[in-house]
Amino acid sequence: MSSPSQPPRSELVAKLTRPVARPLAGTYRWVDERLGISDLTHQLLYEAVPRRGAWTYSLGSATLIIIVLQIVTGIFLLWTYVPSTTEAWESLNFIEHHDEFAAIVRGMHLWGAYVLLLVIGLHMIRTFVSGSYKKPRELNWIVGVLLFLLVLGLGITGAMLPWDQAAYWTATVVTHVVDYIPFLGNWIQEILRGGPQMGPETLTRFFAIHIWLLPALLVPLVGLHLILLRRHGEHGSWVNYEGIDTETEAERAARMAAAEYPYPAVPSDPGYAVPMDIDDFFPSQVFKDAIVSFALVVIIFVMAVVVGAPLERAANPAALNYVPTPEWFFLPLDQLLVQFPQAWMIPVGVFVLPGIGTTLLVLVPFLDRSPEREPWRRPEVMVPALFAVLFLVFEALLAVNRLFNL
Amino acid sequence: MSNFPVVAATSPHLVAVPVSTGVATALVALLMLTHIQFAAFQQGGYIILAVTDFIGWKGKDARKDRFSKGLVTALGATFAFGSALAIFAVLILFLGLWSQFFVQLARIMFWPLVVEGVAFVGEIACLYTVYSQWDKLTRVRPLRVGLELLLFVNASIQMLAINVVAAYMLTPRPSNSLALNLLNPTLIPLEVHRFVGNIAFAGAIIALVGGIRILLAKSREGRAYGDWIGHYGLVYAIGFTIAQPLIGWEYAKEVQLHSYAAWYSMMLGGLSVAFLFQVFLLGAIFTVGIFYLWRRIKASGFRAPTLAVCTALSFASWLLIATPSSLAWSYEDVVAANANVPIWQGGLMIPWGEMIPFKLLALITFTGVAIVAVTVYLKHVSKGHLRWGDAGRGQAAALITVAVAVSLMMALMGYIREHSRAPFLVTDKVLINQQQNFNPPNAAGPAMNGPAGLGIIMPWDPHP
Repeated sequence: MSSPSQPPRSELVAKLTRPVARPLAGTYRWVDERLGISDLTHQLLYEAVPRRGAWTYSLGSATLIIIVLQIVTGIFLLWTYVPSTTEAWESLNFIEHHDEFAAIVRGMHLWGAYVLLLVIGLHMIRTFVSGSYKKPRELNWIVGVLLFLLVLGLGITGAMLPWDQAAYWTATVVTHVVDYIPFLGNWIQEILRGGPQMGPETLTRFFAIHIWLLPALLVPLVGLHLILLRRHGEHGSWVNYEGIDTETEAERAARMAAAEYPYPAVPSDPGYAVPMDIDDFFPSQVFKDAIVSFALVVIIFVMAVVVGAPLERAANPAALNYVPTPEWFFLPLDQLLVQFPQAWMIPVGVFVLPGIGTTLLVLVPFLDRSPEREPWRRPEVMVPALFAVLFLVFEALLAVNRLFNL
Repeated sequence: MSNFPVVAATSPHLVAVPVSTGVATALVALLMLTHIQFAAFQQGGYIILAVTDFIGWKGKDARKDRFSKGLVTALGATFAFGSALAIFAVLILFLGLWSQFFVQLARIMFWPLVVEGVAFVGEIACLYTVYSQWDKLTRVRPLRVGLELLLFVNASIQMLAINVVAAYMLTPRPSNSLALNLLNPTLIPLEVHRFVGNIAFAGAIIALVGGIRILLAKSREGRAYGDWIGHYGLVYAIGFTIAQPLIGWEYAKEVQLHSYAAWYSMMLGGLSVAFLFQVFLLGAIFTVGIFYLWRRIKASGFRAPTLAVCTALSFASWLLIATPSSLAWSYEDVVAANANVPIWQGGLMIPWGEMIPFKLLALITFTGVAIVAVTVYLKHVSKGHLRWGDAGRGQAAALITVAVAVSLMMALMGYIREHSRAPFLVTDKVLINQQQNFNPPNAAGPAMNGPAGLGIIMPWDPHP
């Protein structure tokens, strides 16, 4: 406590920091007047979000953080990696044996990709189960599905870049399979391979797809995803709308009138425009997002240090007895390929069935148009989706069993 | 020459077991097929218990609470009997009548069996706690649900361990590696097939209880409770059976790839009649189950034309797979009745009995139709269309029929799996009659895989 003869502590601090604080504040004010940073920060941080179930909504933010992590680690890898068939493996081998920092970064890039796919999968499941794709958020669901497909594409193209045995034969299988696409297969195969055979251009093309084409599509779509999220607000899940069945028209109108930005989300099914109970994005949701994202980054770092990223022997096209093992997220597709061994059936297993599944996934908001949000009141989508997920898990298990027993 | 040189070398005075192979086989088959029914009910019942208790807790649903308490009592009672059967099987049948085989198998599968034993003890501890402290645990509901989940985990570990043994006996790996023997080619499909099947079976048994309760109910309230139990069990039974055609198909493919003789026996040889009967039972389960869904909605006064169409389609598929051979007792009967000769050559074999495309088409139809039927039925349930107590004798009969068919299916699948290896006890390694006709070898023969000596196969390789 300060005595009456002494100035208050805050005054003392202000006096002492004035030489630094004044010019800083002035500079900030000058910049802010020209760029509108305060308004931007306010817009970014201050919005309403649903209160209940907030931890599960962190999966979206975690996805964003890991995408940023992938971009940063990818940029670091570009400092050493040489995208040529003669030097790609050499450059990564150098990293693994002579550059511990880069080896960890490479490990983080690999494990970041694995965790990213898991988190996106969980995020999609959460969104699906809670019916968050419904009016007016249909487009955001479609953008999310496209982002998932792009990340899968980044995963498979990234797996080809080390140009070790696994990468070479994965590229061989992938580019061989596309040949089975009716009418266009051969043409697409030549585009991917850079000619009729695998060669130096194949790696260059997959490198270009991995670091330019797919990210160039990914980043704007992430931006669009966020813009749409801010436009309609976080839907949350059915627990945030408990009681709307018994709500009177007057109560609902009052709730709509008192809605905080970005609610009400319109057009909407009756009662679902505003969550019953809301919270502040900052600091409540940001805190939860930070905890979840930080935990995931720690897991990625630990896996990178403890397990690292594998590097097999350099690609050897003459090693015909080598059995390529697909990345775990393509195990179901690999198993489907095995289950349709005849040439005329391969397109069914590898393109038609996955194509139907992907199309249905995109069309979910238009197939399930009922206002219901509770999963047990939507068996028409939950039951088929459950079987689809179990089918994929079963196919992956079969693939593991088969590969282990080769 | 014996396939048990190690046992023979250490026990040179062993003599033939004074029981014929036929009697020993019949005894073990009877006991194990009975045990499997109890064990399947345990494993499937535990997860249904945990789910129901959780939903009852969260939804404050007194009916589900009452059901959970009844189910845990039933599980306690059946566990006592089923595990006594298993202990009797190990102590008397395996060690008494099949000791040479069992000792060798225990040597190779030592660690899975140890894990199974530990999980068995864990199951006892959890089940006793949940059963005896049920009311007290109501005050700590998360703990009770957690213990129920732990029960399921313990039962699942035991099932995985015994599936490792069963899969090994059908498709053993020529290796001393424990990992290769554990994850042998048919393990995963067998594990998934049984995992899903056990939940369906437990659901069917619950449906059976519901059906009987409907028939015996003296009050509207009792009838309503039986009606709800029947509906609840059947949703599990049909819902999980939906996946079985695909999983079974994959299982058969793995058997075909890794134990062709067993596959041939099942699909085209002496066991093909049993397989036909199994497919016939599958048709019965789907058709009668979907019929129940349709009639149950109708009993509450709502029209369900989609379910009527589903029933018709399922029945048509059932006809598609049914052949006269389905009802024969043995392959000899098929031959005697000319049922293996096409109808245009004067026999009874009809074209639509073929596996491809007709049975395949039927299996796909069953799966697709059942998904639609269950979805439509659950939609009606979610809209509150069902009034409990409306179910009549027809629905009760359907519930009982489905349960009997599922039970028969379980027994038949066990019979097919165990007989498909014949004349081997372990495919290509041990003959069934070697146990009874055992003679000490005078030279080292081809042993079941494993290191020499009485050691057990360790998780790591002791002989690099």
